Amino acid sequence: MNMTLGAQDFAALSPLLILLGGALIILLIESFAEVWAKKLSFGLTLLTIAIAGYAVLVAPISVNSLLTPWLKFDFLAKLFSLLFLLIGFAATFLSSAFFQRFDASRGEYYFLLLAALFGLLLIGSSADFLTLFLGVETLSISLYVLCGYMKKWEFSHEASIKYFLMGSLAAAFLLYGIALIYGAVGSTRLDQLLPAYQQLATGSVRVLFLSGIGLVTLALAFEAAIVPFHVWAPDVYDGAPTPVTAFMSVGTKAGAFAAFVRVFFDALPRFNLLWNEGIALLAYPTLIYANFVALRQTQMRRFFAYSGISHAGFLLIPLAAGTPDALSALLFYLVIYVLATLGAFAVLAFLDEHSEGVTLKDLHGLFYRSPLLAGLFAFCLLTLAGIPPTAGFFAKLYIFKVAFAEGYYSLVIVGLLTSILAAYYYLRIVSVMLTEEPEHVSVVPTWPAACVGTVCVAAILYFSCFPAELQELLKGQMT
Amino acid sequence: MNKLMLLFLIPLFASLMTLVLKGISDKALKYLAFILSLLPLAFLLYHQEGWLGTSVSYPWLPAVSVMFHLSMDELSLLFVYLTAILVPISILAIYIPNLSYPNFFYALVLFLQALLIGFFTAKDLALFIFFYEAMLLPLYFIISIWGGSHRYQAALKFLLYMFAGSVLMIAGLFFLYFEAGGSTFNLEMLAKISENAPHAGWLFAIFLLAFAVKTPLFPFHAWLPDAYCQAPTSGTILLAGLLSKAGIYGILRILLELFPRMLQEWSPYLLGLSIAGVFYGGLAAWTQKDFKRLIAYSSLSHVNFILVGLFVWNQTAHEGAILQSLNHGVTITALFLVAGWLEMRIGSTIIGKVSGLAKFLPHLCWLTLFFVLSSVALPGTNNFVGELLILFGLFGQHPWLTAFLALTIVLSVIYMLQWMQKVYFEAPSFYQTSWIDIRGREFLVALPLVLLILWVGIYPSPVLKLIGESKLIMEENVKITALEHKL
Repeated sequence: MNMTLGAQDFAALSPLLILLGGALIILLIESFAEVWAKKLSFGLTLLTIAIAGYAVLVAPISVNSLLTPWLKFDFLAKLFSLLFLLIGFAATFLSSAFFQRFDASRGEYYFLLLAALFGLLLIGSSADFLTLFLGVETLSISLYVLCGYMKKWEFSHEASIKYFLMGSLAAAFLLYGIALIYGAVGSTRLDQLLPAYQQLATGSVRVLFLSGIGLVTLALAFEAAIVPFHVWAPDVYDGAPTPVTAFMSVGTKAGAFAAFVRVFFDALPRFNLLWNEGIALLAYPTLIYANFVALRQTQMRRFFAYSGISHAGFLLIPLAAGTPDALSALLFYLVIYVLATLGAFAVLAFLDEHSEGVTLKDLHGLFYRSPLLAGLFAFCLLTLAGIPPTAGFFAKLYIFKVAFAEGYYSLVIVGLLTSILAAYYYLRIVSVMLTEEPEHVSVVPTWPAACVGTVCVAAILYFSCFPAELQELLKGQMT
Repeated sequence: MNKLMLLFLIPLFASLMTLVLKGISDKALKYLAFILSLLPLAFLLYHQEGWLGTSVSYPWLPAVSVMFHLSMDELSLLFVYLTAILVPISILAIYIPNLSYPNFFYALVLFLQALLIGFFTAKDLALFIFFYEAMLLPLYFIISIWGGSHRYQAALKFLLYMFAGSVLMIAGLFFLYFEAGGSTFNLEMLAKISENAPHAGWLFAIFLLAFAVKTPLFPFHAWLPDAYCQAPTSGTILLAGLLSKAGIYGILRILLELFPRMLQEWSPYLLGLSIAGVFYGGLAAWTQKDFKRLIAYSSLSHVNFILVGLFVWNQTAHEGAILQSLNHGVTITALFLVAGWLEMRIGSTIIGKVSGLAKFLPHLCWLTLFFVLSSVALPGTNNFVGELLILFGLFGQHPWLTAFLALTIVLSVIYMLQWMQKVYFEAPSFYQTSWIDIRGREFLVALPLVLLILWVGIYPSPVLKLIGESKLIMEENVKITALEHKL
């Protein structure tokens, strides 16, 4: 029985500690020297995330019994940590591009961003429901503030309050679900759930457990913006400043699905096929609703909210399948989704002029003003639509394969048919970019956004030609 | 490196090269792109018969068992030749001074060439579908950026229609995959179990829909007039000459290999649809006031003629259909080429705006007349051989339908010669300075097409031999006799 944490344990914890340390340093600088904070916070944030990324790669595994009940240090945790740090890196760049146009204090912003990242990393490494809850809450609370960060924007206040109220409700559901599970099983540790469930004798205890699981699923579905728990997403994405929307659309989504993976692939793989059926039932309305409503969107941030909801629907498909192969498919799709959405937001960062963000009108004739930007944007949109020869096609192919293998035929067919709708609304934007009407929106070159855009598109191009590389990268987590 | 891989990669690298090359004049870029697009043809001719049997096979995405498996047999070789000949001509068909973003244009065309070569040689069903849908993208951009006045709607309609038609193929793909044991998409492996798979009828319908939309078979042609008319001349040549052949190749490769019995069962209905298509195309062409639209409907009519040949359960008809698809590619390219030159000179595509142009543009007039005569299947031209074989095959099964179908040839003569008369041969309008006749350079562009038309028309046996030797046709003979014995 360990009583203390040794050096190896601290090394294993280092990514989390580095993020925490960096965040607190930035907050301190902001409190005492705002001028310095304005200059240094961007670089400090990048440095923090870079060091944390390095730490994830070289950190040893800890077997200290003070840590292992709470945190996991396996391959999946490392993978999620790297993904989240990548998202954080890109969000930092996009935020810097945003602050070039809109003035606001930076230190608090980057502190909150790092705090949100800390929450995400906790989710990815959680071994216990309480750690999961802590991660979700840290992420959410940081985001509540970040959404309303631009104090002069009134719709931001509205978005922030909406998110706060509904997010609190979801957190309450999560906690209540955890409590019910604890009541049924006697422990909140994730790795003790499956054996305990299989030993549950009486029906009423089973019902207790399953209701707990249901409530937890509900709360996580809220985070992932799955129909019918998606209602907050369009308004919140619309009201938040663009880099925060970018972070939410990839970070929160990835975080929610990381939580799903931790609980339902890692801890409870296929524990009850009724749950898988339930997930499939959630996927149908998500796919259908999101794809229909996205057809009418003209505001880009709102559009990406619905696009995110529709992709969450696609991500539910391997979740419903539940096999280890399905886990690979989910991770593959998630990575491609993250890359493509970040690339798209990088282009939006160039065009962000008003507080309302970029609208469809602003994109008119973008091809003639800047073929490179239009090309990048079109490429990212085509990847999201899943049209070959982009890597998005492989991602969709992979998830349909795993769904088919488990017999979810009609889900695959609905997925394919809604892909047609998806192709329409993504292509409509590409079409608008190619129209000739000139618009007087200035295209401001920002090198941070250019970096993000280039890296994302290059990565997608590489994975389009060699998709096996990505798949190999993501494998080896559940052997 | 493997020959076939090199053949696929050459246009891909050429496309990249033209995209990034800056600082050379537009004219030089056009000729560079032209030379690069000729490389596959040169490569093909250099190795001649050595191509048959070459293959490439790399695992591409092992998680989904997708193999990058290309292999060249007789049928593929014919269509790859067609691609290698028509893409250079489409590059030459573009009019230089107006071309914005030339780098991007040539890159798209060369990329399309790579995708088509990959498509015609793909032997892994997932790869086949990948190329089938991927080839739509370059054309979408070509129509959207360089097309006519309604190009955005036309391009969007085109892409969505095609995508909607072919998206269910993925479901069919996985169904066959798991029926075959869940390890491979190889067409030969799938062919062993496809006919007896449960829901084979639905699978057949899904694949048929995808190919029917692209070819297009009669009721699924709504995208055709707008897409063909709004595209620039090069785009129309690529659409009409190559993309429709992709649909026909799909029917040959997938439906005939994987679902022959089902094809035979459904052939009466499909035959009815395609004959209706031939008539519909012809009658619609007759009423057109716009000659580009007229040629588009004529193309619809001729493609449905090819489909008649495919849906008749007879080996001669199938051989004729394959030959005719090559012929149609050549002839329709030629027709759109001369129509494009005419449009450039008179400034619009309306028939009747000007007339009597034979006085001012005699060379263009005679070249157009030659291609028109080839299109109406004058004996001595390529279409005659192809259509004759199809009619011959049809006669063996449905003599009265053959007579009915032969009337469509008369119909094609009517609308084509009516066009020629209205534009070239009536009373001459007042001369305008833009009416410069075509010179040696344009003749050189049209020359390979003229030679091909005459060669296949007068001496078709080398091509027919290659078609007859194709494994598909030989296996078919066995299948047809076996099925006839069963009936």
